[in-house]
Amino acid sequence: MRDYIIRRLIMLIPILLGISIAIFVVMQLIPGDVVSGILGIEQTPELRAMWEKKLGLDKPLVEQYFSWIGKAVTGDFGESFRTGAPVFPEIMSRFKISAELAVLACIIAWIIALPLGVLSSLKRNSVIDRIVRVVALMGVSIPNFASATLLILFLAKGFNYHTPVKYAGLFENFGVNMQIMLLPALVLGSVMAGSVMRMTRSSMLEVLRQDYIKAVRAKGAPERVTIFRHAFKNSSIPIVTLVGMQIGSLMGGTVVIEQIFSIPGLGQYTLTGISQRDFPVVQGCVLFIAVVYVLVNLLVDILYTYIDPRISYS
Amino acid sequence: MKKLFALLLALSMALALVPASLAEGNVLRYGTETEVAGFDPHTISSHASLRVMAQVYNQLVDVDEDLNVIPELATSWEISEDNLTYTFHLADNVYFHSGRKMTAEDVKYSYERILNPDLGALGNSASYAGGVASVEVVDELTVKMTLSAVNVAFLSSQSSSYCSIVDKDVVEANEGSLLRADGGTGPYTLGEWVPDNHVTVNAYDKYFDEAGKASFDAIEFYVMTDASSRLNALRTGEVDLIVADTAMLELVKADDPIQVISYQTRDYVGLFFNVEREPFTNPLVRQAINYALNREEIIDFAYNGTAAVSGFIPASLGHWAVDVGEKDYYTQNIEKAKQLMAEAGYPNGFETVITVGLEDGIRDMGVVAEQQLAAIGIKAEIKNEENAEYIDDWKAHNFDIMICHNGAGSDPNRGVAFFFSTTGSANIQGYSNARVDELCVLGAATTNEAEREAYYHEAINIILDECATATVACPMAYFLASPALQGYAPNASNTSNFAGVTLAK
Amino acid sequence: MKKTRQPVKQRPLPGNESTLRLLWQDPMGRAGMIGIGLIIIMAVFAPWIARYDVAQMHARNRLQGPSAQFWFGTDNFGRDVFSRIVYGARVSLVVGIVAVGIAAGFGYLLGMIAGFFEGKTETVIMMVMDIIFAFPSILLALFIVAALGTSIVNTMIAIGIVNIPVFCRTVRASVKTVKSTDYIANARSIGLKRMSILFRHVTPNVMAPFTVQATLALSGAILTEASMSFLGLGIQPPNPSWGSMLSDARKYMEQAPWLVIFPALFIIITILSFNILGDALRDVLDPKLKL
Repeated sequence: MRDYIIRRLIMLIPILLGISIAIFVVMQLIPGDVVSGILGIEQTPELRAMWEKKLGLDKPLVEQYFSWIGKAVTGDFGESFRTGAPVFPEIMSRFKISAELAVLACIIAWIIALPLGVLSSLKRNSVIDRIVRVVALMGVSIPNFASATLLILFLAKGFNYHTPVKYAGLFENFGVNMQIMLLPALVLGSVMAGSVMRMTRSSMLEVLRQDYIKAVRAKGAPERVTIFRHAFKNSSIPIVTLVGMQIGSLMGGTVVIEQIFSIPGLGQYTLTGISQRDFPVVQGCVLFIAVVYVLVNLLVDILYTYIDPRISYS
Repeated sequence: MKKLFALLLALSMALALVPASLAEGNVLRYGTETEVAGFDPHTISSHASLRVMAQVYNQLVDVDEDLNVIPELATSWEISEDNLTYTFHLADNVYFHSGRKMTAEDVKYSYERILNPDLGALGNSASYAGGVASVEVVDELTVKMTLSAVNVAFLSSQSSSYCSIVDKDVVEANEGSLLRADGGTGPYTLGEWVPDNHVTVNAYDKYFDEAGKASFDAIEFYVMTDASSRLNALRTGEVDLIVADTAMLELVKADDPIQVISYQTRDYVGLFFNVEREPFTNPLVRQAINYALNREEIIDFAYNGTAAVSGFIPASLGHWAVDVGEKDYYTQNIEKAKQLMAEAGYPNGFETVITVGLEDGIRDMGVVAEQQLAAIGIKAEIKNEENAEYIDDWKAHNFDIMICHNGAGSDPNRGVAFFFSTTGSANIQGYSNARVDELCVLGAATTNEAEREAYYHEAINIILDECATATVACPMAYFLASPALQGYAPNASNTSNFAGVTLAK
Repeated sequence: MKKTRQPVKQRPLPGNESTLRLLWQDPMGRAGMIGIGLIIIMAVFAPWIARYDVAQMHARNRLQGPSAQFWFGTDNFGRDVFSRIVYGARVSLVVGIVAVGIAAGFGYLLGMIAGFFEGKTETVIMMVMDIIFAFPSILLALFIVAALGTSIVNTMIAIGIVNIPVFCRTVRASVKTVKSTDYIANARSIGLKRMSILFRHVTPNVMAPFTVQATLALSGAILTEASMSFLGLGIQPPNPSWGSMLSDARKYMEQAPWLVIFPALFIIITILSFNILGDALRDVLDPKLKL
C-alpha cells in the first residue's frame, strides 16, 4: 500500500511539469498581457518597457520559465504580477473556501440523490422511477447561474433575505459562514445530485442482478438487509469514483456561483488570473487544482480497498 | 423537485430567523462591481482601487464640480510669471497614517517616485506630472516645482490619484511597493482586504481637514460582480449603497423605497474608426456612418434612454464643449448617408468588423450600431473581445471600428491632445491633422482662458467635421442607496467623496 | 420487484432498426426521441418557423410581454424572442454537435492509439488526458477561448477539447478488453494486420458506450456554452444561443420574466431529452453498461 501511494505521488511530477510548461506556452500565445491590464489607457511605449523590465517579462522566455519553476520547486509560487500579493497563501485561503463549498455541495447531493437512486433502482421502470429520473435531470438541465439568480431574487422578494455579504470563515463565525455557503452549495448540490442519482441507480441495478444477491435473498434475509448491507455497499464503488471526480471539478469549476454569491473561492482567483494574464496566479492555481485532483483520486482509490476487500494495490 | 423545493423553503425560513450579519457600529457598506487590484496610487488605474484610494490618499490640490482647482494638501500656491514654476504652501497639520507629520520632503519624495522611470508610474506622462523638471524643498512646508515647458493643465491634473502624496517611510519599509501598504494621509486608513470579497477602510482621527473628516467608523467596499445580487443585497439591507446599471432603474422606480443617485459623467462612448485602414481613410465614409447613426435610439437601447447625445468633449466639461446639436451629421439622415457612400465609391456598402469589449453598454451599442449601419449597406460583424485582448487590439490599432468608452478628463488638453493629436498616446485611430496638433500646443501653452477656448473649439470642430470618430453619448453614472443614506452627492470630479455622508438610524 | 430485462444477445448498433424500435417501445426513449426530433425540426426549418429576423429591432416594442404579435414577447432591443429561440436552436445544437464531434473524433483516435500501442505512448496520452480532465471544464474552456479569441468556432473547439478525455478513456478501455479476448489472438495468428483487426473489432464494441456518452456530452456542451455566455465569452452578439439569451436576460428577470422562462424552458427540454434518450439507449444497447 505504501509503495503504491509513493508510486502514484511520483507519477505526479511529470504531470505537473507537463502542465506548467503547457500553461507557460499558452500564456505566451494568448493575446494581451498583464502590462496592458495594469496601464490600461495610460500606456506609452516607455511605461510599457518599464513594466516589462520590472516584471521580468523582458528576459528570454526560457529564462523566465526556469526562474519561475526554480522557485516553485521550493514551494514559492511567486507574487501576483498585478497585486504583488504572494500567490501560495492566497491559494490556500481560497482553497479552504472552495473545499468547504465542494464538501457541502456533495453532502447535499448525497442527501438528495442516494435515497432517490436506490428507490429508483428498486422500482425500476415504474412511474416512481420515471418521475425520480426526470426530476433528477431537471437539476442538471438548468444552467446554474439562472437557478442561482432565481433563488436570490425569490429569497429577497419573498423573505427579504440575502446571504451576508461579508465573508466569514467556518471557524470564525459558524452561523454566518453557513448562511453564506448553504445557498450556493444547494445550487451546486442539486446539479450534482442528478449525476449521483443516475450512477446510484445504474450501479444498484448492476449489483441487484448479481448471483450473490439472489443467494442472499434465497437465504431468506430481510429485504432491507439485502439492499443496504449487500447491494448498496457493493454498488458504491462507482459512486465514490464519481464523487472523487466531482470534488476535483468543484475546485475552481464553481466560478459562476462564486461570482453570483460573492464567494472568494479558487475559481474566481483563477478566472481573474486568466483574464488579467497574471502568469504566476494562473500557473499556481492550475498546478494546485491538478494536485488536489490527483490526491482526491488517490484517496478514492484507497477508499476502494475498504469498500471492497478484494481490491488491493500491492 | 417538490422535495427540493420543500427543502429550500425550510432552509430559507430557518435562515430568515437568524439575524443577518448586523452592521457593527457606524459602518457604510458599499456594493461595488469589480475587484480591486492593489492600492499603490501611483501605479494602479483600476476603477475599483481608485474608489478605495480616494479615501486613503490626498493630493496637493483638488478639482471641484465646476473644474475649479481648490486647495487640498496645499493651502495655497503661486505660479511664476513665465508659468514654469509652481510654489505650493502645505497645510501645517497633515499627518500620515503612521502618525508622522507630512512635510515638503514627502512631497518631493512622492514626485520623485512618480518620475522615477523604474517605477513605471502612471503619473509620469504629459497628462499628469511628466512635465516636472525639478522639485525643490524651500522650507518645511513649502515646495517648488519647475516644469520643462508651459502646461496650463498642470495644476488641475495634479488632483489625480496618480499624483498622490505618499509616506516615504512606508514605501521603503515595503520594498518600494504600496500595493498592499498604507502610505496615505486620507480620512480613512486601509484596513482588511479579503480579495474578491471586501476591503475595509477605517476612520483616521488625525485627518487634517475638519470638513473632510470621516463620518463613518468604517467603509466596507464589497465586490459583488453580479448586478442582481447587488440590487437584492441592497433591498434586504445587507448593503447601504451600490453601483447600479441602467437596467435596474426601472425596477426600483415602482415600489422600493430606494434612492437613485446619479451624475453626468465626463465620459463618452462612440465608434472609433481606424483611419489608417480602408475604407475609413476616406472622410466621406466616416461622415456617412455619422449620418447613418440614430444616436437617440442607441441611447434608448444601450442606456435605457438615460444618456445625453455628446461629442468627445461632453457638455459636462462646461464651456470647453462644442454643441454637437448644431452639427448636421449628428442627426440621422439615411438618404444623405447613402449619397455619401456612393460618392465615396461604396454605393453597395462594404463589410467590416465592429470590435467591442465586455462592458454591457459598449456591447449593446455594437448590436444597435450593426443594425443601423446595415441600412446603408454596411455589413458589420461584431467581434466581442475579452478585456486583455480588447486593450491589446486598442493599443495595436488592430480594428476596423472599435467602440470605446473614454474619459474626457478635466481639461480639454486631455480630451483633445491625448486622443487626437498625432503623437497623443491614446490616439488609436491613427488620426493626424497638422492644424489640430498646432492648436493643442497653443492651447497648453497659454493661460488666457478665452484664448484657450478659441484654440480648443477650433480643434474640436476640425476633428468633429472630419468625422475622426462617431461619438454617440455621454452616459450617466448611477448609484442606488438605502433611504437612510444622506448627503452622498457624487460628481464627475469626485465620485467617491464620503465626507459628511451619514446613515440615519 | 420487477424482473430485469434479459440482456440482449446480439448487441445492435445504434442506427440499427432494432435499436430504434426498442427505443421507441421504451416510454422514456420515446419521450427523448420526440423531444429531440422537435428541436431538430425547429433548427432545420428555422427560416420558415421564425416570424421575424433575429436581429430586427422594434424600437417601440421593448420588453413587451407575450402577445399575438410576439408570441414569446420581446427583449430589451425589441427583438422577437420566439424567432430568437427558433434560431437559437440552430446555434445551440450546432455548438453541441460540433463540439461533441470534435471530442468524440479525437477521443476515439487517441483512445485507439493509446490502447493499441500501450507502453510509453499510452502513458503520455493518458497523462495528457488526465491533465485536461483534472482542470474544471469551464475554466479550461475559458482559457482556450482566451487563447484563440472569442468566436462561435472557437467556442465549439474549446468545448470539444474539454470533452476529449471521457471519450478517449472509453475507447481505450474497450480496446484493452477486445485485445485480451481470444478471437483477437486467433485473428492475429492468421496474420491479419493488428491495427485493422482492432478497428474492426473495437469499433462495434465502443459504439454503445460512445453513443450514450455523446448524448450526455451534448447536454454538457449546451450548459458549458451557457456558462461561458454568463462570463461574457460565449456566442457573439447578435447571434442568439439559448445560453447567451438566458444570461443577457438575467438583468431583466424581474420586469420581463418571459426573457428568462422561454430560453430556460428550451434548454431544459433539450437537455432532458438528450439525457433521457441516453439513459434509454444504455438500457437498450447494453444493460450491463456503466456510465
